[in-house]
Amino acid sequence: MALSTIFLTVFLLALLSLRTYQSEVLSETLPLTPESLNVSINSAHQRLHLQWTIHNLAYHQELKMVFQIQISRFKTSNVIWKESYSTTVKQNQGLHWSWESKLPLECATHFVRVRGKVDDARIPEPKFWSNWSRWEEADAQNSLGPDLLFLFPEDKLVEEGSDVTFCYVSRNHQHNISCYLEAAQIHIDQLDPRVSTFKLKNVSFIRRTGTNIFCEDPGVAMKGTVLFVSKILEEPKDFFCETQDFKNLNCAWDPGSDTTLPKQPSQSYTLFESFSGKKMLCEHRNFCNWQVAQDSQEMYNFTLVAENYLRKRRVSILFNVTHRVHPMSPYNLFFENISATNATVTWKVHAIGNYSTFLCQLELLGEGKVIQQQNVSVKVSGEYLLDDLEPDTRYTARVRCAYANHFWKWSEPISQKFSTSEAAPSEAPDVWRNVRLVSGRPTVTLFWKPLSKSQANGKILFYKVIVENPDKPSKFEGLSIPAPANSTELPLNGSSYQIHVTAHNSVGPSPASVITVSGDPGNREVEEERVNITEDGFSVSWKPQAGAPAGYVVEWCDRPQDLPCDPQWKNLGPNATSTVIDSGAFRPGVRYNFRIYGISTERMAHLLERKTGYIEELAPSDNPRVVTSHLTSHSFTLTWKDYSTESQPGFIQGYYLYLKSKVGEQCLPGFEKTGLTDDSVYCKHRIDNPEQKTFVMENLQPESVYEFLITPYTSAGEGPLGAFTKVTTSSEYSHALVLILLPMIFFILLFTIVCYLKSQWLKEKCYPDIPDPCKSSVLSLIKSKENPHLTIMNVNDCVPDAIEVINKPEGSKIQFVGASKSLTEAEFTKPTYLYLLPTVKNSPGPGPCICFENFTYNQAASGSGSCDPFPITPQVPPGQRGPLTSRGNLLKALEKNYMNSLGEIPSGEASLNYVSQLVSPMSGDKDNLPTNPPEPILCSEYKMQMALPLGLASPPPSENSRLSSTALLDQGEHYR
Amino acid sequence: MRAQCVRRTLLSLVLGLLFLSTAAKGKCSGKYHELLQQLRRQADLMQDTSMLLDPYIQMQGLDTAGLKEHCKERPEAFPSEGALRGLSRRGFLRTLDTTLDLVLHRLTDLQQDLPEAQHHAKLNIRGLRSNIHCMSQLLLGSSEAETAEPTQPAPVATPRPTPPSGAFQHKLKGCRFLSGYHRFMHSVGQVLREWEDSPSRSRSRSRRHSSHPALQRGARRTRPFRRDRRRVPRGQLPR
Repeated sequence: MALSTIFLTVFLLALLSLRTYQSEVLSETLPLTPESLNVSINSAHQRLHLQWTIHNLAYHQELKMVFQIQISRFKTSNVIWKESYSTTVKQNQGLHWSWESKLPLECATHFVRVRGKVDDARIPEPKFWSNWSRWEEADAQNSLGPDLLFLFPEDKLVEEGSDVTFCYVSRNHQHNISCYLEAAQIHIDQLDPRVSTFKLKNVSFIRRTGTNIFCEDPGVAMKGTVLFVSKILEEPKDFFCETQDFKNLNCAWDPGSDTTLPKQPSQSYTLFESFSGKKMLCEHRNFCNWQVAQDSQEMYNFTLVAENYLRKRRVSILFNVTHRVHPMSPYNLFFENISATNATVTWKVHAIGNYSTFLCQLELLGEGKVIQQQNVSVKVSGEYLLDDLEPDTRYTARVRCAYANHFWKWSEPISQKFSTSEAAPSEAPDVWRNVRLVSGRPTVTLFWKPLSKSQANGKILFYKVIVENPDKPSKFEGLSIPAPANSTELPLNGSSYQIHVTAHNSVGPSPASVITVSGDPGNREVEEERVNITEDGFSVSWKPQAGAPAGYVVEWCDRPQDLPCDPQWKNLGPNATSTVIDSGAFRPGVRYNFRIYGISTERMAHLLERKTGYIEELAPSDNPRVVTSHLTSHSFTLTWKDYSTESQPGFIQGYYLYLKSKVGEQCLPGFEKTGLTDDSVYCKHRIDNPEQKTFVMENLQPESVYEFLITPYTSAGEGPLGAFTKVTTSSEYSHALVLILLPMIFFILLFTIVCYLKSQWLKEKCYPDIPDPCKSSVLSLIKSKENPHLTIMNVNDCVPDAIEVINKPEGSKIQFVGASKSLTEAEFTKPTYLYLLPTVKNSPGPGPCICFENFTYNQAASGSGSCDPFPITPQVPPGQRGPLTSRGNLLKALEKNYMNSLGEIPSGEASLNYVSQLVSPMSGDKDNLPTNPPEPILCSEYKMQMALPLGLASPPPSENSRLSSTALLDQGEHYR
Repeated sequence: MRAQCVRRTLLSLVLGLLFLSTAAKGKCSGKYHELLQQLRRQADLMQDTSMLLDPYIQMQGLDTAGLKEHCKERPEAFPSEGALRGLSRRGFLRTLDTTLDLVLHRLTDLQQDLPEAQHHAKLNIRGLRSNIHCMSQLLLGSSEAETAEPTQPAPVATPRPTPPSGAFQHKLKGCRFLSGYHRFMHSVGQVLREWEDSPSRSRSRSRRHSSHPALQRGARRTRPFRRDRRRVPRGQLPR
């Protein structure tokens, strides 16, 4: 083996020395084995760094070699990585190679070995691999602390979308470790009894402070780590450099999203110029200022390098600096010699060098729009005359400049405002008139439209109106009306006038507008026609006027008819026969009237035609108020005369008459059945004539109810279906009844009147006056025969034949014995009377006694009071007198009889009234007062009453007719 | 929640600036109760976790199950309430001042983690320290002899500088530190509340003397203020 090696070496050396004189002697011992292999660990980057040397090379010898590297994990037999590495080897020069492990190196022991092979074309085949170096161990676990649990990698920084492998090492043999990503548990793969791993794929950005990952052995240990996920560094976009003064280059770019994370190195930008070899770290993310070299360097090749912890991006540009001039903004922009239509503008530029020329763009803006644009070549100062300007107008001039030699960019513009001065108004005001009679005197109202801005050429201060009478040309009447008035009123007499109107601003007057007005309002009758409607508005047309008119005027009012408004008008040329009137003021449902005037050469207006129409017709909004008349049993008449067809939201074309129909009922002739939205059925009649405002409903049934509704209709529809009106036809016989009843009523009235007129006569005939008892013949007879002192009947002469017991219960119930009817049914307010009729043997007098109540006596008695003590004459025997005259006796007697005869009248609630058939002496003869005033007795009350002794003749009819309803039934029971 | 946080932040900012202004002017309120009340209010404000801890937890992503429980304060990181109670009043104030000084330094470390909140917290702490200074001056004036005496050593383990660690551990440490800080300020507030609840001295002080130097008697002995809770002779400030 050694012999062959020596032989081979000698052979090779001989061969090389023969082939070239430049070749140096190769290693004496081939193949060359890597020696002094050293493996180090970079935990932060998870890299194994390998270093070895080749000792056998001769001095200054260089040889291309290829090395094979093997990496094992946990044990040497578990090779996880193989890689070939080619390089040029020098004598005693260390060779380096590194490898990044996906698995954190702290979690596993790694073993590395290397072998080499000459891979140089100078060395002929065959080439052999050297022997492997011995395994070198890389164990990071030795450096771990005394903790029971470790989690790796620590604080790793990755880009979004990366895959990251984590592992933990547990020194607790019986562990129960769970790992979490934020709060979610992660699946774990065990690598060996103490080491487990888990992989996060395609990680995403959660927060700037990093994603928390932790593993926990409950009750034993908890370890965590933070995974910093950054956005991917972008390549700078729109990178450019430019100069304003050939002293500085301003380079700028769009950096894209910021990848910087807290506690992590931020991304940086570096500018490198290849011609000068200068490099500059930029302070800002998006621009950098580069000092231009003083050696007149024109060409620049810049490379911008964007870099962060994980990635580098670069972008380059090559340019000539004279092609990248971005001038500074012009300055000192002024205006000179500003007139109504012209102005001179001047400005300055920042010169670059002595021979630079700038191209400046001058823009004139009015109301925000570019009106003029001019390019001016400028060395240092620019000047330009702006003409064709409008008087009294505000303009803005804007100037920007570019480097004329090589256009790169416009500078930032500079702008300034100015206003042109005023000029006299260029147009005559548009004038119209309205002539009407005011208090019988013709009056003209002049209207004019304000001049537009381009016509006014300044602020209109006033309008001047000059009235000239053609008959008296020397007489002028001037009137100055301050702006912004747009009308004036002038009284006229019957003749014609020529009126001149001019508008004045600070510079002078406008051309005059002339109009001729006569005192005649000229409202001649012209038939009104309907105007056509187009999409653009009202299309007004007229017949051309004979002769040579100076023009036409269409006049209208753009407000509803019932509202006052100033007229609107439109001037048209002499050849016009139609025009379209459009106005934003036109509203649907409003009738607009148009008048077409012909203007004569003398500027006199003559009404030619009248038009009317709607921009859009609407259905009527209300129904006419209908009056019903001529109601008969078979017909009635409907009238709506006060319904105006002119003020409706459309042309009224007619009316619909609705009649409510009963189920199964046929419609009247001329009506047809129709259904409405509420599913009800109506009979409908159409009236096509809008001027017909009366309708006779015929063929109706007597004594029937009819409900109707009248609604107008236009081309847009009919009016609202509001409330129906009810009408009831009269009876067929009502007329005859009227014919009978009216005469009857007349005769009754006539009879009544006659009776009234003859009432005295009727009284005398039908109910004569009641005779006065005092004046009766009976009294005179008694007076003359028995007692000449008495003028009336003495009480002794008349034995009381009845006592009236007046019971005035208040609410108590009185029950008479034997009475079948309760007194509660009677009127308690009236006294109850009980008449005590003496027996015949107790009667003191032989004759019957008349008991009466007479108002005549009452009137007499009322003079001394109806309750005066009753006088008792001494001639009356005590035996007979006592019970009746004495209060006690009388009461006793009454009580006895009364109690016997009454049933349930409670004591104390009944009172007794003695009713005498005799009148009180006081009432009859005041002169014959009794000498012995009687004891007071119960108050007497005179009532019309009567005892009817047997065989007594009937009382006079007059008395009988005045009887109260009290009736004498028998001796014991008297009640009503 | 956010509006409340903003209100608190503004309030703390105003209070901090107010007290800083006071300190800058070099004027201390001579009113014991007013000063004590201000101290207590500041402590109450600073114990609120919405000032620092809550935003920190949210910002660091520690508001998840499994991590929140690791935010608890480590024992002895800050003086316990019992330890604070065991101190004399001046000792208490010195301990509080020292602890707050350390807190200020730690908050500076957290500047990147809580740029806004830590700034406001620092202002508050500076305001509080200013008032501590004033209260110390007040107590010193009432008990000059005490300055010569050694203070009762407080069982205080101030936060020690931590060796460099991973970002995760840094997060947890910051969280525990803030948790301990709020707890500590709560304890401070409790102790100060007990100062307020203890028998009023200002009344007798104002009756007997126009200012605190009159409270020298009885303040010569240094003892924990717990024992001061016994009835204090009128006219004496608690030490």
